Amino acid sequence: MNLIETKGRSLTFNIFRYDPQEAGDKPKMVKYQIEETPGMTVFIALNMLREHQDTSLQFDFVCRAGICGSCAMVINGLPTLACRTLTKNYPKGEITLMPLPGFELIGDLSVNTGKFMRELAERLKLWLHPMSEDADVHRLETPMSPQEAAKLYELDRCVECGVCVSACATKQMRESFVGAVGMMKLARFELDSRDSRTTEDFYHVIGNQDGVFGCMTLLGCQDNCPKDLPHMQQIAYLRRKMAMAQF
Amino acid sequence: MTVRTLLPASATPDIGGHPWSAKADKIQSATGILLGCFLLAHLHFESSILLGKQAFYQVVQILEGGMFSETGHGFPIVTQIFSMLILLVVILHAAVALRRFPVQIGQWRALRRHMNVIKHKDSHAWFWQLVTGFILFFLAPVHIFTMITNPEIGPHLSAERVYHANAWLLYALLLPAVVIHAMIGLYRVAVKWGITANRSGLRKLAKVMIIYLITIGVFSLVSYIYIGHGLSLPIEPYVPTGH
Repeated sequence: MNLIETKGRSLTFNIFRYDPQEAGDKPKMVKYQIEETPGMTVFIALNMLREHQDTSLQFDFVCRAGICGSCAMVINGLPTLACRTLTKNYPKGEITLMPLPGFELIGDLSVNTGKFMRELAERLKLWLHPMSEDADVHRLETPMSPQEAAKLYELDRCVECGVCVSACATKQMRESFVGAVGMMKLARFELDSRDSRTTEDFYHVIGNQDGVFGCMTLLGCQDNCPKDLPHMQQIAYLRRKMAMAQF
Repeated sequence: MTVRTLLPASATPDIGGHPWSAKADKIQSATGILLGCFLLAHLHFESSILLGKQAFYQVVQILEGGMFSETGHGFPIVTQIFSMLILLVVILHAAVALRRFPVQIGQWRALRRHMNVIKHKDSHAWFWQLVTGFILFFLAPVHIFTMITNPEIGPHLSAERVYHANAWLLYALLLPAVVIHAMIGLYRVAVKWGITANRSGLRKLAKVMIIYLITIGVFSLVSYIYIGHGLSLPIEPYVPTGH
């Protein structure tokens, strides 16, 4: 390999910058140039920018492997995980980064998805409500069928990155709408045979305009989820279930 | 406002799930499917003029119940009653679909901002459904009222309405609005209730149907204008050959 081949092309990053903590700071877009390296992801590029060009750049990351869900941001109009986005997928070499809309902005590309997810979990009671007989710790648990376990595991893959919330125009228009992440997690407990909540209990939580009947099926969640969770099928399932419930 | 500051549902039992939320959603989908299917039939019936005056005349006679009259001519009151029923369905659909409109300026801005930041085709398609839905509030009732007050349909009578009464202007605006609204709507209702998982196929079908329906609609509109242009007032109703 000669020197010309190893020299990567020059990438232009257009990054949203704003620090709400800093008095007088105004939101702006700032341009950065960086040389592309083989296998570079947006996450790697951001770290290089912070290390060599601007130490004040704020963005979140933990795992670098698409598991923690921390580095979600809007990359050229598509909300996704920075660590799973290769820069080589942008032939023009121009990449615009925006923070996820619909969340509290911590600064630059960093948003407080954790606070949102916690509040959502408290509001929808996103934890297992055991059957009364299961409260006895000395009792042996009824084994779960592998099929059921597989179904639950599929929905448990959610990393709470917040992409579905940002990609949802319904959620952006109606703040109290629970969004795909809320419905996905609720569907997970609805499918769980160990959960004592009935269809009626779930109806009380999402059988309204803030829940499954407020969803307009714009499918931003389905099309952008970095974990490819079956949002469309899951919301349709909950909708049918809730629509058929008679009280 | 954050999720936490919202009143918890448990504190006020009445604001949790509401039976009417499910009913409204079902009514919206059911009336939407009904109107979408009606539109498909309607556009094909009126486009029978492309097969000639005779074909259109026969379609009208069948739909107006011509087989139940001694003369073989239909009853225009059938059109009037049917138009009133359709108007009722449209009103019901509009009433429940209004829940989806960004009625507050903040919601409208949020929608526009979202469309500017996030590239997503289905969200953009919904935006066009919203715009065409709003247009239909004004155009659809005008068309239906005309059919209630003036139900005469026939190769010459319809041409008179289109050309001499200037209804072509209404139809030229109504046609794309209603076709776009209905086809995107039928696609959405299918994925919404999980009727099919083949989304890409449905999207293609919806696109093809939009082009196809607008094409046959425009061609038949042009042929009515052409027929109307060749007729002089007062209009003599079309008499089929062989009578």
